Amino acid sequence: MIQFDHVFYQYEESVQLALEDVSLSIEDGSFVAIVGHNGSGKSTLAKHINGLLLPAKGTVTVNGLDTADGANILPIRQTVGIVFQNPDNQIVTTIIEEDVAFGPENMGIPPEQIRERVDSALATVGMQDYAKHAIHQLSGGQKQRIAIAGMLALRPQILVMDEATAMLDPRGRQDLIETLKRLHAHGLTVIMVTQYMEEVTDCDRVIVMNHGKIAADDIPERIFSDHELLHACSLDVPEAIRLAEQLRKIGVPVSEHAMKTEQIAEELCRLL
Amino acid sequence: MSIVIKNLSYRYSEIGNPAYALQNISLTIEEGSFFGIIGHTGSGKTTLVQHLNGLIPSEAGCITVDGHDLSDKNERKIVRSLVGMVFQYPEYQLFAETVYEDIAFGPKNMKLSDEEIHSRVLHAMELVGLEPDRFREKSPFELSGGEKRRAALAGVLAMRPKYLVLDEPMAGLDPQGRKEILAILERLRSEDGCTILMISHSMEDIARHATQLLVLDHGTIAYLDTPQAVFSHAEELFRLGLSVPQMTVLAMLLRQKGYDVPSVSSDETPLLDWIKRRLSQAIPFCIDAILERKY
Repeated sequence: MIQFDHVFYQYEESVQLALEDVSLSIEDGSFVAIVGHNGSGKSTLAKHINGLLLPAKGTVTVNGLDTADGANILPIRQTVGIVFQNPDNQIVTTIIEEDVAFGPENMGIPPEQIRERVDSALATVGMQDYAKHAIHQLSGGQKQRIAIAGMLALRPQILVMDEATAMLDPRGRQDLIETLKRLHAHGLTVIMVTQYMEEVTDCDRVIVMNHGKIAADDIPERIFSDHELLHACSLDVPEAIRLAEQLRKIGVPVSEHAMKTEQIAEELCRLL
Repeated sequence: MSIVIKNLSYRYSEIGNPAYALQNISLTIEEGSFFGIIGHTGSGKTTLVQHLNGLIPSEAGCITVDGHDLSDKNERKIVRSLVGMVFQYPEYQLFAETVYEDIAFGPKNMKLSDEEIHSRVLHAMELVGLEPDRFREKSPFELSGGEKRRAALAGVLAMRPKYLVLDEPMAGLDPQGRKEILAILERLRSEDGCTILMISHSMEDIARHATQLLVLDHGTIAYLDTPQAVFSHAEELFRLGLSVPQMTVLAMLLRQKGYDVPSVSSDETPLLDWIKRRLSQAIPFCIDAILERKY
């Protein structure tokens, strides 16, 4: 359980508040998306979850532990794993399996368990064939999968993806979402900070950030049908929803629940 | 004038990875086109474009830009002045104390006169929508994500490249930021006649903007055609780890269910017309009522 209680944050070099009076709670087992334009505060919010940033005012707790208390940082970081946008900033070694093993080794996990964790994490992201390869030979998208595997090998209870899919190709993104859904079904709490609205339709809750404040907090269907909100927060809609709108314009009564093209096709077939 | 690539191959030299990053690529990029490049991660997109200004020396094969051969040391200099490169996350390369100084860095290295540098910097700032009076003295690090990206782009534009190569220029930007970048690219192409080469994972952006589309698969050419023709191979593109615009997906799904729908690509009208027609035949008695309903 993550709890934000009236959190304020301001970057040193900035005159604006990056977070302004943010209060929210995220239950265990949630699948939450955090969206908003560049500079809306969504990444700042994510970095508060594991104490990378500490509130200037207010408190953040993870399972009741206050991130501002230095003694809590280690248990909090074992609970919350964050994967960031640019893989080059997250990779520490030169050989892939060593990089994935880096975290578990530092946690003092026994070697045979590390082997198993590394293998299963690499398989989860579809990179098992590359275990012995050198990292500099990988593409940006492949490196990102390694960064994600490194985090999965730590077996966190809460996984925060801070725009971690920005470098992936369409299938890579789809595969990752499927993986996250599977891990979520096994109890992982997933928090996706993202610009890709397609990913948001898979979540069961969307938090919209705007100028450091929470502008909306609702299920995807309602967020994407609120045109005023989307416009005010300069958010896009998923392509499938744009498609549904195009169809509505020519008189096809597509329902609000159809957020994926497959669902639109099904509804359409019933009418044709 | 054009960029001509002939039989280009590239292989990581390390033992243990004999795989080709690029294998026997031949293609021509015509001046004035908007050349889109798509492919799964690791398909060789970045490796290919890094060859275009000699950043990676070509191992096998030949590249010429407007007739200048990249393998020739003296000619390479000319090529580098013709081909501007915008890398992934170019804002990480911002370094100067002010936005102005950062954008002026490239032109300064070209040994241009101070007046010329000044006019180029201001022009580049205007092109990318960074108002000179407001932004020139700012530190690049005070800018928002979208502004930083545009400042980095301005730094390349100030060198007035004839061919502008961009590696996922919209990655990590919000929808507004993405639209701004695409509008800048369209303007460059129509007003300055700049040729655009863009790597992207957004099938929608590619379908809307590209005039030619290259699909790479494990270092080889899977397709090289108009986006219209390429996106008609929806099943194959999915197999290659890619996707197609959602309207095309809809057409594919309807076809799978046995409907004889027209094929769609960048032009969505035929499918929409077909649906309208079918709908009016299926439920003629209530179509007027549906058309009048507001959603």
